Amino acid sequence: MDDEHDIKFRVKQFLVKRFPQVDGRGIADEEPLLETGILDSLGVLDLVGFLEQEFVCEIDDEELLPENFESIDRIADFVARKCPNTPGPIVEP
Amino acid sequence: MDFLIHHMLRTSTRVFPEKEALVFGDQRFTYQGVTDHVALVASKLCRAGLEPGDRVGIYLEHSADLVFSLFGISQAGGVFVPINPLLFPRQAFHIINDCRMKALITTHARLSSLSECLKEEHSLKFLIVVDQGKKSSVDLPMYDAEESCPKPSLEETFDGRIENDLAAILYTSGSTGRSKGVLISHAQLMSGTSIVSTYLDISPSDRILSILPFSFDAGLNQLMCAFQMGSTLIMMTFVFAKEILDALEKEEVTGLAGVPTLWSVLTQPRAKLSKRTKLSLRYITNTGGPMPQPVLQSLREGLPQTKIFLMYGLTEAFRSTFLPPEELDRRPTSIGKAIPNTEILVVNDHGQPCKPGEVGELVHRGPTVSLGYWGQPELSDQVLKPHPFLPHEIGSHEKVCYSGDLVKTDEEGYIYFVGRKDTMIKSSGFRISPTEVEEILFQNGTVQAAAVIGVPDPIIGQSVKAFVVPKEGQRFDGEELRGFCSKYLPSYMIPKVIEVLEEMPKTPNGKIDYQQLRQSTEK
Repeated sequence: MDDEHDIKFRVKQFLVKRFPQVDGRGIADEEPLLETGILDSLGVLDLVGFLEQEFVCEIDDEELLPENFESIDRIADFVARKCPNTPGPIVEP
Repeated sequence: MDFLIHHMLRTSTRVFPEKEALVFGDQRFTYQGVTDHVALVASKLCRAGLEPGDRVGIYLEHSADLVFSLFGISQAGGVFVPINPLLFPRQAFHIINDCRMKALITTHARLSSLSECLKEEHSLKFLIVVDQGKKSSVDLPMYDAEESCPKPSLEETFDGRIENDLAAILYTSGSTGRSKGVLISHAQLMSGTSIVSTYLDISPSDRILSILPFSFDAGLNQLMCAFQMGSTLIMMTFVFAKEILDALEKEEVTGLAGVPTLWSVLTQPRAKLSKRTKLSLRYITNTGGPMPQPVLQSLREGLPQTKIFLMYGLTEAFRSTFLPPEELDRRPTSIGKAIPNTEILVVNDHGQPCKPGEVGELVHRGPTVSLGYWGQPELSDQVLKPHPFLPHEIGSHEKVCYSGDLVKTDEEGYIYFVGRKDTMIKSSGFRISPTEVEEILFQNGTVQAAAVIGVPDPIIGQSVKAFVVPKEGQRFDGEELRGFCSKYLPSYMIPKVIEVLEEMPKTPNGKIDYQQLRQSTEK
């Protein structure tokens, strides 16, 4: 699994758990999350918190833009750009 | 004198024809511009056959078209029914049928989503579509909102209604069943407008940011106050705190109304509220649930020049109380006292006035008490009753509103919210009926018993929690069931947690023991 797939997989895992609509309504990777109201203002905060922790990066408020969070694809792209050397999930020895 | 809501627009247009009335994104409209758009909607409705008192739904995103539609319906003699854009087609269809709606103003995309429902029997006679999107195949006469038609002047359009006539139906939820329509007359809307404009001291120089939907009385009230006073209303939708803060600066916003979640979003450290030094915010108002104390503290630090009004209201009585900003230091958890021209009583189970500290039901008396629920006289009689303390010789003609909210007062008469008398859930400013969520859980087919309660949440007030017992031989996890709910319910109604039980606790007479379920989550 290359990095980009890995990022998308982990983002998606989080989204499915936090927003049951993603699975329930079968939201595809390129489908809108914001205009459908699935990702709302509080949900975005949870997502950003997750991304910062999971991918060990700091997301600036200036980067909280609709274009970075429009869809699962866009979020994964954003993380890949933001944290090019993203570590894998921390595995306990 | 203005008696009907579109009279306010007429007056403000006469006084300030060239003043900016409405902003939405890049769209800017003067009062004259708004009036022209409104006249177009009114004239379309009249030509399509709208009769006085007919209900017209508005199923649109927060946008300028929403304002034109709302005042256009009023001007055409109709009753406007704003449908929260977050609602799913099935829920919107319930509203359409419940109030026997004659016409619907919407977009092609929303119409497509409704097309399955519209194959069933319904009351709609025609549609007005506000966009040029992909044509939807619905077998109803359809009018294009933008297509020009002769514009009648305001004086020429229908004005035969009086202030006691119905202006709007606002759909809201209770503790049981589907959403019900609260009936609001022109006089009630006008009173609510004058009262709030008075205590917020709204003037023509105010620029009010509108993010709350007009299906919510507090959101609608912002629009009415702005147009009554000749102020400017800036409408927007948002997801990120930055979008709001940028708009506050760019549009030099002086007034903002929100529910607790908005304030939580604006005060999270990442939003850097205190770095925004160019804000012109004169006041903010909170409604739809108590503001968490740490959030209130952050707001006071981040917005030292802004007056903070904590408000309380319920759709059935429009607006009820507010805490004056100067009382915030002394009693930050209070919902304040009655709004002007309104009496608030606290009544105990024996129908007697409560002493300070004694918990009782908040009862609202004043000109904003609604006319009850559409088509539900019995339910209306449970909520709207004669004044409990006036001599019966004069007390029976005037209805007061029993809110179902339990409150207490301090020695100086300031009111504090304690809880609900019934099982209704209030989350992020939304009212949620537990039975409506339970109904969807049952639709899954694998559920033998379901019970939904609200559990305290520091940010959204209450969150939805469901308990389910699977049918024999069925196995599922809560996550799957949440996914199922998301197909039929808007986000705010989906249970945050679904706990699977082997057996539902029952009361001695065999009903689900909600009390025990509530206690089990408090542990």
